[in-house]
Amino acid sequence: MNTLSTRRFLQASALLITGFLLSACGKKAETPAPAASAPVAAASAPAPAPAKVYVVGTDAAYAPFESENTQKEIVGFDIDVVKAVAQKAGIEVKFVNTPWEGIFNTLAQGDRDLLVSAITITDERKQTMDFSNPYFDAQQLIAVKANSKVTKFDELKKLKVGVQTGTTGDEVVTKLQGKTSANIKRFESTPLALKELESGGVDAVVADNGVIINYVTNNSGSKFKTVADKAFQNEQYGIAVKKGNADLLGKINKGLADIKADGTYDKIYAQYFGAAPAAAPAASAASK
Amino acid sequence: MDLRWEILVGYGPLFVTGLWMTVQLTVVAIVCGLVLGVLFGLVSSSLDAPAPKSLALAWALKVARAFTLAYVTFFRGTPLFVQILLVHFAVMPLLIHPDTGLLLAGEAAREFRQSHGAFFSGALALSLNAGAYISEIFRAGIQSIHLGQTQASYSLGLTHAQAMRFIVLPQAFRRMLPALVNEGITLIKDSSLVSAIGLAELAMAARTVAGAYSRYWEPYLTISVMYLALTLLLSLLAKRLEAPAHHRGR
Repeated sequence: MNTLSTRRFLQASALLITGFLLSACGKKAETPAPAASAPVAAASAPAPAPAKVYVVGTDAAYAPFESENTQKEIVGFDIDVVKAVAQKAGIEVKFVNTPWEGIFNTLAQGDRDLLVSAITITDERKQTMDFSNPYFDAQQLIAVKANSKVTKFDELKKLKVGVQTGTTGDEVVTKLQGKTSANIKRFESTPLALKELESGGVDAVVADNGVIINYVTNNSGSKFKTVADKAFQNEQYGIAVKKGNADLLGKINKGLADIKADGTYDKIYAQYFGAAPAAAPAASAASK
Repeated sequence: MDLRWEILVGYGPLFVTGLWMTVQLTVVAIVCGLVLGVLFGLVSSSLDAPAPKSLALAWALKVARAFTLAYVTFFRGTPLFVQILLVHFAVMPLLIHPDTGLLLAGEAAREFRQSHGAFFSGALALSLNAGAYISEIFRAGIQSIHLGQTQASYSLGLTHAQAMRFIVLPQAFRRMLPALVNEGITLIKDSSLVSAIGLAELAMAARTVAGAYSRYWEPYLTISVMYLALTLLLSLLAKRLEAPAHHRGR
């Protein structure tokens, strides 16, 4: 019985393997066919012109700019802006959650066509990608415990500071404390850094104002206060495209101008940040 | 492909202290993991041992076995990454928190979390994880020794503890060694996950550079070589523990 079932098993597996090999061969034989017909399809394609869906990369852990809701949809200020821009520009977009670390690489490699992720326009970043006109004014903000004595950025020089790896917050703190400072604790996301502040692991967190304020509003038990410092330069967020993709960039900029002109932008802004952006610049409105 | 190694220059100290941190982390985790593993391994293999004479001891052993089963199931069945985040952002704040810490509160808690928090959480998570795997290595090693060996020891008048110590474990250890070395190598590599909680270890050094320059070849290739050096060193050291052929009875 035992030997019989072993033999059966062997036969069955032999059959399976041959079957697999055959199907593999079959596939190999088949592949040239569609490949051969592909050029034909491509040639006839321009007639109906299938709308290209632009893939937008975003690190959806950065509320209120982008986050994932319970229905697994990516939502937020940035998302609404890009959707409105896309509508004006007549293009189709699809959002894909992309981790911050490495997000710029996805653009260079063509995995994503656009990036919108509260990305500050900096000269360094301009070297590797192109930015749309700015769509949001932001500023760094310091979050500390409510009883902290910190009043300005310089006082963080000798303190433990939490940041999100590779953000502009990381950059300014690195500049203050030095490249190899052991006092900078880098986290994967700003909320994680703020969580660490809550449990006393760091003395302060430096990050974009919008995100810190959102965290404080959602975690009333966290007992943080925020410290604004004039030393922080004003920053502007831009929508990034692959370097040299002037065609797409033009569409985006046109759409951006359109939604600013017809009041769509103000509506979105008011929905997420309350005040109208034209009356009070975002940065000062948020950090006061 | 252009490699710009010069971007690493300013970050040298970060890689050196990161390497040192990784070594410390894995050494602590291997030692603690071994201790946990031996303890829990002995408990879970105690099913084969003669039942203790006192009822209380028998019950204690039963409880210990149930606990071991739960522990091993949890730590072997969930991702280490999740365990690290769970320990650092959920368990530790419960125990050590400036305002509400159960074990440590106030200034001392703040001080502890700032200077040792991430290391402690990381080492704890790694040790608990390693302990679960090592206890299974021990159980398997002990159970792989034929029952006749223990029975022969008993008939020679050895107690269970003595039989374990002099007869079973020395033989089992030789069989466990490759698996233990594997676990050690895994630990060295998995320690990189601890960078998620902000510990400045080797992987964090690379992430810092990658974050600053958006360049990935140079920093990650560098730490790959460093991790490789560590794992090779461990397997070389372990080779010296292995019995030479003539001791293996060939």
